[in-house]
Amino acid sequence: MTTPVLSVRNLNIDYVGSEADFHAVKNVSFDIAPGEFFGLAGESGCGKSTIAFAVSRLHRPPALIRTGSEILVGGRNVLDLSDEELRKFRWREVAMVFQSAMNSLNPVLTIETQFYDVLRAHGPISRADARARATELLKLVDIAPERLDSYPHQCSGGMRQRIVIAICLALNPKLLIMDEPTTALDVVVQREILQRIDVLRKKLGFAVLFITHDLGLMVQVSDRIGIMLEGELVEVNDAQTIYRRPQHAYTKKLWASMPKLRGEQTRVEASS
Amino acid sequence: MAFLLRRLAFYLAAFLVAATINFFLPRLMPGDPIQIMFASAGSELSLENLNALKLTFGFIDAPLHEQYFAYLKSVFTGDLGRSIKYFPLPVTELLGRALIWTVGLMGIATVISFTLGSFLGIFAAWRRGRAVDSVISLGAIFSSSVPAVVVSLIMLFIFGYTLRWFPNGYAANPLIDPAWNWQYISSVLYHGTLPMLTLVFVLTGGFAVTMRNNMINLLGEDYIVMARAKGLSDNNVMLWYAARNALLPTVSSLAIAIGTILGGSLVTEVVFNYPGLGNTLYQAIIARDYPVIQGQLLIMTAAMLVSNFVVDLSYVLLDPRLKKA
Amino acid sequence: MKLISQLLQNKKAMTGLVILTIILLVAIFAPLLTEYSPVKRVGRPHQPPSWDHWLGTTRLGHDVFARLVYGARVSLAVGFGAGLMITIIGTVLGIIAGYKGGVVDEVINFFTNMVLVVPNLPLLLVLAAFIGQASPLVIAIILGLTSWAWGVRVTRSETLSIRQRDFVKSAEMLGEPSWRIMLFEIFPNLISIVGINFIGSVIFAVITEATLEFLGLGDPNTVSWGIMLYNAQNAAALSVGAWWDLLSPCFALAFLGLGLALINFAIDEIANPRLRTGGMLNRWTRMVRIGEGKL
Repeated sequence: MTTPVLSVRNLNIDYVGSEADFHAVKNVSFDIAPGEFFGLAGESGCGKSTIAFAVSRLHRPPALIRTGSEILVGGRNVLDLSDEELRKFRWREVAMVFQSAMNSLNPVLTIETQFYDVLRAHGPISRADARARATELLKLVDIAPERLDSYPHQCSGGMRQRIVIAICLALNPKLLIMDEPTTALDVVVQREILQRIDVLRKKLGFAVLFITHDLGLMVQVSDRIGIMLEGELVEVNDAQTIYRRPQHAYTKKLWASMPKLRGEQTRVEASS
Repeated sequence: MAFLLRRLAFYLAAFLVAATINFFLPRLMPGDPIQIMFASAGSELSLENLNALKLTFGFIDAPLHEQYFAYLKSVFTGDLGRSIKYFPLPVTELLGRALIWTVGLMGIATVISFTLGSFLGIFAAWRRGRAVDSVISLGAIFSSSVPAVVVSLIMLFIFGYTLRWFPNGYAANPLIDPAWNWQYISSVLYHGTLPMLTLVFVLTGGFAVTMRNNMINLLGEDYIVMARAKGLSDNNVMLWYAARNALLPTVSSLAIAIGTILGGSLVTEVVFNYPGLGNTLYQAIIARDYPVIQGQLLIMTAAMLVSNFVVDLSYVLLDPRLKKA
Repeated sequence: MKLISQLLQNKKAMTGLVILTIILLVAIFAPLLTEYSPVKRVGRPHQPPSWDHWLGTTRLGHDVFARLVYGARVSLAVGFGAGLMITIIGTVLGIIAGYKGGVVDEVINFFTNMVLVVPNLPLLLVLAAFIGQASPLVIAIILGLTSWAWGVRVTRSETLSIRQRDFVKSAEMLGEPSWRIMLFEIFPNLISIVGINFIGSVIFAVITEATLEFLGLGDPNTVSWGIMLYNAQNAAALSVGAWWDLLSPCFALAFLGLGLALINFAIDEIANPRLRTGGMLNRWTRMVRIGEGKL
């Protein structure tokens, strides 16, 4: 078996309070194989986004990743990296699409600048080379290169979403984390975005950690799925098993609370 | 463009309000308005001069609305009457001379304290809850809570009277002729130091608190988190993502602060005997020189509106969302 | 009530409340703290601080300490009186504008913006100049009537967002009259904004009263901190070396200002959880230091 892209071991995360702590993530372990589409589902507040933030170590106080936790990416424990190593690790190995991807572009900088600053942060590059690379990346998500000179507010929501994905691919990361990236979008755009990610994944070979509360959507796109309940990972299985033969009582409950999907569920197929 | 034109129209209306207050105030006071306004003129002014002055303020034998338009006409033709104390010096000229000193003092103090305060606020927010933050926050609270009159008196006591590092008054050494040479300019800078330090002390705290709170509110935004996730350096995220966006609400709070800045600079001038608007006004109040007192409201309103317009302009420059092709 | 109990747990608020309480007690028990009358000549002019006159005497031979403790009454009364007026006008207009919307909102909003760009202190100077020597009561009233605009602006924008919330919508469905909705549904949610507005207005009123009096627009027979500054300045206290005459009211004003500002900052922290730094960050720092975890 190949080494996993991401290997989470005994992850414990607390939110420190002035008297007692809130245990947001309790002893969670899971692996994601190279190129795999892994889904993490659960109600809001179950700790799934907390895990996503921990992988790139984006938390701020009072969040606390407990000693003894391990987050291995490409065999290195992310939690042992120095500040500078961490800065270089971010985006080069793990890129991330945030909950409201539409708001994750800086409103006062042009799109081009937001490509340029990430490219420059990870190695010397001229402005012209950066622009050429950005044009190339935008082509992957079907956006005209003229958009480079626009500001985020001049682009539609769906367009901004695709721009964020293009920025994510700038450094060919091994893992793309998507933290409920589609909640703000309508169903049609949602589906279109996920199809596009799937195409790109097959083309470029990165793995995906997909986080959502929408189990129905997740089953359509994921290879394997983990179900979270109050900070614990209660069930991990391949998507078909989760859909047809859920093991854990909570997974069954989740299905029961969903509107029934009639007809055969099929995976979204690449249709490039 | 439309945004700026709308603002301009609004400022014109605001100026009209100030003029209207000036017009009605003496007329609403119990007693004879002419008597109130020109009491101190008494025997010093010839009847002819007094009548000309009355005309400027709309005291004519006509219905109220005609009086009002007569007054507005003088205001909008730049005639604010003449000072009674320094007759026949026109109010516009008297206040115009003083305005230069006030604008210089206030303008430079605002730029310094805005820059300094914003940087302190940025650092405090970035290291929220740590020692730097506590020190900056407490300092800022203290600086913004002490009245300008108190700070200037204490500054004057310490640096003017006790240590004798700086002069106690005037904008420059009166023995040096005003000219564009180093001797005069250095004298202006030397005399301006204490009033300037006072204003910077009073104003910096407010800007620091505003910037800090705006920054902290922004730090949870997705684009800040994404900037960190992109592996940008801390300085880059702090300045180009967080501070650059926090600057927008800070600049708009600057517009509201201009009135306070103006008030602070008025008292500071009085304490340091600085020849700006504040001091001129103080002399006018003592002499009950009403044309000057009324004129200052109009001139200061105008100054405030111009500063507001400058803030509007910089807002348009800072926020690409307001820039229309 | 929740706001008050949170205030009591906040260090900044507690320090501010202690300062305010000290000044309040001094003002109330002024006659017990000094044997001198604040308006009688009780010593030779400009005596430095001594056992007989703790803070020295003024040029007129008044006892500075006596004037200071009695003067606290005026500063507090004007500050809180005008502050209350400013807050009431600002809150009422702000809620009405924000909730009613439409023409009412446009009219209130227009006037508010107008008042915001006419500079406050110069306007007050003109008003006070026409009134002549303004007593503290008159100063409080004109402050109250001219300084509400900032309060309207913040209250209005907060009301606009609360109006969209479910509990307001459901009260509307149930056919509650709009005054009840404004008073019982919206107002309770504005408490912290109102608190900040109130304390901020008190600070503003205290400073402005002192400034107007210092500039010679007050009644010189009043015993207040601003008039003390005015008299000391007129007596050229600094150039004759009578620093106690001038610095005593200075420090009193700074002390009161600091106390109020600490309370204001604390309310801001409580109202906006993002600004709170509190105990959890200290605890977090300690846990990181002893190696219990990291970010």
